[in-house]
Amino acid sequence: MIALKGVTYRYPGTQRDALHAIDLTVGEGELVGVVGANGAGKSTLCYVLSGYAPHFFNGTVEGSVQVAGHDVTRTPIGELASDVGLVFHNPFNQISGARYTVLEEVAFGLENMGLPRDEMHERSEAALAATGLMDLAQRSPFALSGGEQQRLAIAAIMAMQPRVLVCDEPTSQLDPAGTRAAFEVLRGLARQGGTTIVLTEHKLGWLAAFVDRLLVLHEGALVADGPPRQVLAMAMDHAWGVGATMYARAAQELLARGFIPPQSLLPATLEQVVESLR
Amino acid sequence: MTGEVPPRPAGHTPARLPHSPVTQPPAIPLHSPQSLHPLTMLTVSLMAVVAGASLPITPWVLAVFVGLLVPLAAWGRRLGAFLRACAKFIWPFALSLVIIQGFFTPGSNVLFRLGPFSYTLEGLQVALLFSSRLLVGLGAATLLMMIIRPDALMRALVERGLPNQIAYIIITALQIVPTFQARGRAILDAQRARGLETEGALPVRLRAFAPLVGPLILSSLMQIEERAIALEARAFSRPGKRTSFVALRDSRLQSLLRWAMMLGAVALIVARILLWSRR
Repeated sequence: MIALKGVTYRYPGTQRDALHAIDLTVGEGELVGVVGANGAGKSTLCYVLSGYAPHFFNGTVEGSVQVAGHDVTRTPIGELASDVGLVFHNPFNQISGARYTVLEEVAFGLENMGLPRDEMHERSEAALAATGLMDLAQRSPFALSGGEQQRLAIAAIMAMQPRVLVCDEPTSQLDPAGTRAAFEVLRGLARQGGTTIVLTEHKLGWLAAFVDRLLVLHEGALVADGPPRQVLAMAMDHAWGVGATMYARAAQELLARGFIPPQSLLPATLEQVVESLR
Repeated sequence: MTGEVPPRPAGHTPARLPHSPVTQPPAIPLHSPQSLHPLTMLTVSLMAVVAGASLPITPWVLAVFVGLLVPLAAWGRRLGAFLRACAKFIWPFALSLVIIQGFFTPGSNVLFRLGPFSYTLEGLQVALLFSSRLLVGLGAATLLMMIIRPDALMRALVERGLPNQIAYIIITALQIVPTFQARGRAILDAQRARGLETEGALPVRLRAFAPLVGPLILSSLMQIEERAIALEARAFSRPGKRTSFVALRDSRLQSLLRWAMMLGAVALIVARILLWSRR
């Protein structure tokens, strides 16, 4: 579903590669997390996958970017949008401003896709139900809280049912309950809907618990790719600026005090810590 | 949120939401001007503006306001708000016109003198005519905005061939002004929290202007880029046909009414040119 080969991207007017020689393959229905320090290239990777780099930001792309059957560097964003969805971190600016109710805001993308009215209703209402916004359907999008607007941004893209969903810190304004719900929705989209999802986040604990694979970007290069537990254990030994989950830190302490036996991979989630204690 | 996920092929039919007045027009047609097709209300407003600009004497122009706009506002249950808005908008213009036209329009009927200046009846008549025309124009625009949701009007115009991009610009301009004001207030509060004085004499206020406007403009420019990305993500630039989520109900009667009003407007313009051009 996603195949990047030797992808290097540089923003216009800069001397440094924002992404450098990225090779990446993601299969259908996979939920992949991306972590890295600020400036590591996470957002840029999102923009490259969804076509905004180079079509919107200009700049130069080297290598091959194939997403959902499209050669992204040659396909206009307008054509990509129905197959490749993008949710980013600022929810306020993702409101189109063209519609007066939450329900109509969700349907805005579907109108642009030229869908029949009945299908628009079905998709919009299902997306609102999935994101818990059904009760706010007739409110103005601008009257929602930051967290609600973030859920609206997810619902609006979800309703478009893209084959690939790229999310750049989509839970940045959500509380823990909202974050869990958002991750559950995304995992459901991947498992049941077969949507391929690439998700950048700083919330390592949630990534460790929910994603199938974890990638680490460091100074524009892909330095780690594998199961979350393995990648997070690697990250603790490198200065990638990724950090560790609080469970990994707890496990480190438990290991040092002899409460858990030495193991090849440090636990990264609560469940893994509990398993180690048995 | 729940963990439920909409399936890729729309395989289920969720319970329908109660629709807004725009998405679901009332069963009884024409029970209020809000249930009119947006283009009908737009035509009524344009007709009022043309009539106000064409009719030659103040009582006729005021008759448009009293006989058309006021009943429409009452029918839409917005009479109080409509009259308040009109009064608020019109009085500064009317006052200026009455003063300026009265003193500077030449005429033989002098009502009073102030030093070297004469206030003429002819000037007062011109001022009243212009004021009543302004009242009708502003009133028609105000009533249109009170009765019809701008997005519904734009949908109707897009269906008639208005480019989607232009409709988007108009709607967002109307929607974003309040949020722009809110951001301005937030920046003002932030600057006050840093000790910036924003109240008091004019020099103090002027000094506070730059720290307010700079961040406001910069944040707006940043917002434009992100909003453009968001629009692209919603397939805004996708080629091909678009559909409308909202069904705008129209009728043959309303269509005929619109044509009749447009013909009436043309007739008024012709009459203005041929019969009333000297007034």
